[in-house]
Amino acid sequence: MTISQAKAIFIWSTVFSAVLFLALTYDSVSKMPQRTNEKNLDEHVAAGKWVWQKYNCNDCHTILGIGGYYAPDVTKVVSYRDADWVRRFIEDPEKVWPASRKMPNLHLKDQEIADVTAFLTWVNGIDTNNWPPKPLTVAAAGAPKPGEAIFKDQGCSACHMIGGIGGTAGPDLTQVGGRRDKEWIEEQLKNPKSHNPNSIMPSYAKLPEKDREDLADYLSGLK
Amino acid sequence: MQYESQRIAYKYFVISALLFGLQVIFGLITGAKYVWDFDPLINILPFNTSRAIHLNLLIVWLLFGFMGETYYLVPEEAETEIYSAKLANLQLYLLAVIGIAAITGYVFGWSWGMPFLEQPTVLKIGIVIVALIFLFNIFMTMMKTRKWTGILIVLLAGLVLLALLFLSGIFFMKNLTTQYYYWFWVIHLWTEGAWELIAGAIMAFVLLKLTGVDRELVEKWLYIEVGLVLFTGIAGTGHHYYWIGTPKYWLWVGAAFGALEPLPIFLMVIDTLRHVRERKVEIENKIVLYWAVGSAVLHFFGAGVWGFAHNLPQVNRWTHGTQVTASHGHFAFFGAYVMLNLTMIYFALPKLKGIRLFKHGLSLMALRTMTFSMLMMVLAFAIAGIVQIYLQRVLGMDYLTTQRFMKPWFTVLWISGWGFALGVLMYIIDFFTLKQVEPSPVHRRSQNE
Repeated sequence: MTISQAKAIFIWSTVFSAVLFLALTYDSVSKMPQRTNEKNLDEHVAAGKWVWQKYNCNDCHTILGIGGYYAPDVTKVVSYRDADWVRRFIEDPEKVWPASRKMPNLHLKDQEIADVTAFLTWVNGIDTNNWPPKPLTVAAAGAPKPGEAIFKDQGCSACHMIGGIGGTAGPDLTQVGGRRDKEWIEEQLKNPKSHNPNSIMPSYAKLPEKDREDLADYLSGLK
Repeated sequence: MQYESQRIAYKYFVISALLFGLQVIFGLITGAKYVWDFDPLINILPFNTSRAIHLNLLIVWLLFGFMGETYYLVPEEAETEIYSAKLANLQLYLLAVIGIAAITGYVFGWSWGMPFLEQPTVLKIGIVIVALIFLFNIFMTMMKTRKWTGILIVLLAGLVLLALLFLSGIFFMKNLTTQYYYWFWVIHLWTEGAWELIAGAIMAFVLLKLTGVDRELVEKWLYIEVGLVLFTGIAGTGHHYYWIGTPKYWLWVGAAFGALEPLPIFLMVIDTLRHVRERKVEIENKIVLYWAVGSAVLHFFGAGVWGFAHNLPQVNRWTHGTQVTASHGHFAFFGAYVMLNLTMIYFALPKLKGIRLFKHGLSLMALRTMTFSMLMMVLAFAIAGIVQIYLQRVLGMDYLTTQRFMKPWFTVLWISGWGFALGVLMYIIDFFTLKQVEPSPVHRRSQNE
């Protein structure tokens, strides 16, 4: 092979790949508005994206799987929790999730919190080709009991341990059904200070009555 | 050293060595936060800030290295002095000031908030100005003699591509998917495109000078390799477009082109080894050769094999967004760019200091310490990542609970990080204290003959 042939390989393979890439880019850009629900992308969402950038959230949290690996991925956080939980968490991370690895309180203004929550709600709707994958065991076991799902959604395991998994800020709940009945648990969820005036547990009175009942049902069954 | 203006490179190398040291210090701070939950610095230097500084220092010291190496290489290739030494100095100070401003700014919460591209827009404009000065200076130097060697063409193509692609990371876009789409034009197309061209040209230059093999042979390989790099790398950007809101066909395009990416890197290993075997001159400073071969091999394993391992969507679905990516990132940057920079610096440094033969002991120790420690870090990250995938993604365990099971590996990572820092310290000491040694009798005799 001569040097000019090698040079031709260099030029034409680059051109081929670049043309293909740019053509697909053109197509992707035309499809992205639909795949990302751009119609829901209002000023609040855009402002929220800037809040996300301004506080450099992305160097701890991944979003769409990209970023720092120090804190949970937030792509689908609004599905795992809910927008209200997100808002309360950002307001005071320590109070809502007293985990040992901490997120600093960024002291965001109310408007900033509302905007970044709107942004995360919009991100939640992006079509990510089913990423992140559903855990295999969960998929195999079928739908969990409704109470178990609420236990997960509300992040109870940040403080409470069940079967060796979870935090230690609150009591171990592995066999809680042996010591407390359903009514007691329901009351505890509604007003934690009713049983212990010094309890640091947040109230879950904000949950619908049905959810509290399911949760108490699930927990009182753990014996 | 044949040209006076090659001396400019030295200042660039000094800054790059110091920033390398600083980068590793911030790496240790960042790593400590994984090992201990209690973070005394949480309100001064939280994880995101120390990570941003760690990443930025990496890019900046490598760029200082590349620029210095370009200023060293171009006069010899173009056979003329640099167009303007003043511009080269101005550009150096400008970039240093921008770098200091960026890092100080992060500590005070001044950030643009996209990973690697955290620099606020004003500073990014400054970086563009620096790049333009640099390109102008290099291009004008080449135009003085118009000796368009293959090495110069590939180098210039890489530098122009580097500057152009940076533009796609400057603008704020409302849509996160679009923002990330173009963000990868900097992150991916730099490391798997533009930088490969620059690194390929530099490596070709070192091999040419070191082994004395035919220029035509070296440049022929160079063209084919960088051609394949761009062929696989440009469309291979698709392996970042699996899960970010982009259409499904990227799963196919990214998988196919991404899977081919190790091929040119493998060719680089082969041709490096072949040039060394068929060398026509006695290699005096063998340590440069060790760095070069080390770089070729680790480039292949770090960027090629480790990248290939989680390139396919079926695998990437599970590994994406976990410490497996951190493992690949550390390995690839070290093999492809850190070792290449040190190869060229060890080639040029003695000449810049007016030394012919130098003592290799400390450099070899630095090479071994860095490589061993980095391999340990890469394994620790990888195992932590696999634990994370299994517990979190397969069993559905909560994120923070999973992190507790990863801690033993974070500890291995951190201890290995200290080992790596020790290797870097050896390099920095060696860099500043490099001394002439008298040639051995054997050497002297062979020269007299």
